[in-house]
Amino acid sequence: MLFRNVFQKSVYACYLKPFLVPSLFPNNIGHTVTGSRALTKNTVKMKIWSSEHIFNHPWETVTKAAMQKYPNPMNPCVFGVDVLDRSVDTQGRLHSTRLLSTEWGLPAIAKSIIGATRTCIYVQEHSVVDPKEKTFELKSTNITFTNLISVDEKLTYKPHPQNPEKTVLTHESLISVKGVSLSSYLEGLMAKTISVNAGKGREAMEWVIMRLNTEIEELAATARGTMRAPMAAAVAGK
Amino acid sequence: MNSVGESCTDLKRDYDQCFNRWFAEKFLKGDRSEDPCTETFRKYQRCVQKAIKEKDIPVDGVEFMGPNKDKPES
Repeated sequence: MLFRNVFQKSVYACYLKPFLVPSLFPNNIGHTVTGSRALTKNTVKMKIWSSEHIFNHPWETVTKAAMQKYPNPMNPCVFGVDVLDRSVDTQGRLHSTRLLSTEWGLPAIAKSIIGATRTCIYVQEHSVVDPKEKTFELKSTNITFTNLISVDEKLTYKPHPQNPEKTVLTHESLISVKGVSLSSYLEGLMAKTISVNAGKGREAMEWVIMRLNTEIEELAATARGTMRAPMAAAVAGK
Repeated sequence: MNSVGESCTDLKRDYDQCFNRWFAEKFLKGDRSEDPCTETFRKYQRCVQKAIKEKDIPVDGVEFMGPNKDKPES
């Protein structure tokens, strides 16, 4: 299979830069950033992301890809995805709760502080797929390191209102950093990192869509091959 | 993709295969026939819940984007 070998990529590619808290969520997609900032005692709350992106694929294709987003070579930090719960509600919507396990490298100084240079960050995600309304909404939040940081994200995939062959992704991210006041320079760095990760997220989706289409083509080619032999035999038999 | 519990990865793959097929071919097309993956899911779940307990991962009903979100110390 074409894509099997890309996952040999080392997990050391996942590295948390000091004082810079990148988006921990490979879900980030988008390229516009709007920010607003409110200061509360001991906590800085910031809305970093509020963006929109258009995929040139229909909603069903994007939804299938988003459901199978991992693994992909753009997000090597995600090493585990588990479904914790799944059900269809009375309105026919699919609810899923998932656990994403991510692993990150830390700066060398972390060794003297926490005694390790690698750490796992766990993310819990709840999603709802409405096949009638054609919406796919995902909400995720970190469940470890919550005493330091809180990263909440919400992604919604819907068909483009003017073109059903396209899909619109709207993305919001709310980040709270405890006990640290961030200068505007660091805010800018954070926004830049999110923007970079956003590009990776978009690439990841295109990669998954391409992979799924390739699998479908391979299956079709195999089916044609298996049909050809008995058809040829039937013709020869006449 | 692996599971958080290394020993659960095979069970996870069986379930994922079943689910992805049902999701694409039935659910998204409006077919309301029952999810055929309940048994594979049950086996996979038993394994995952055990791994989560062992690794002490604080999975729970989490509040999302609350106005003054302040999670308890982890």
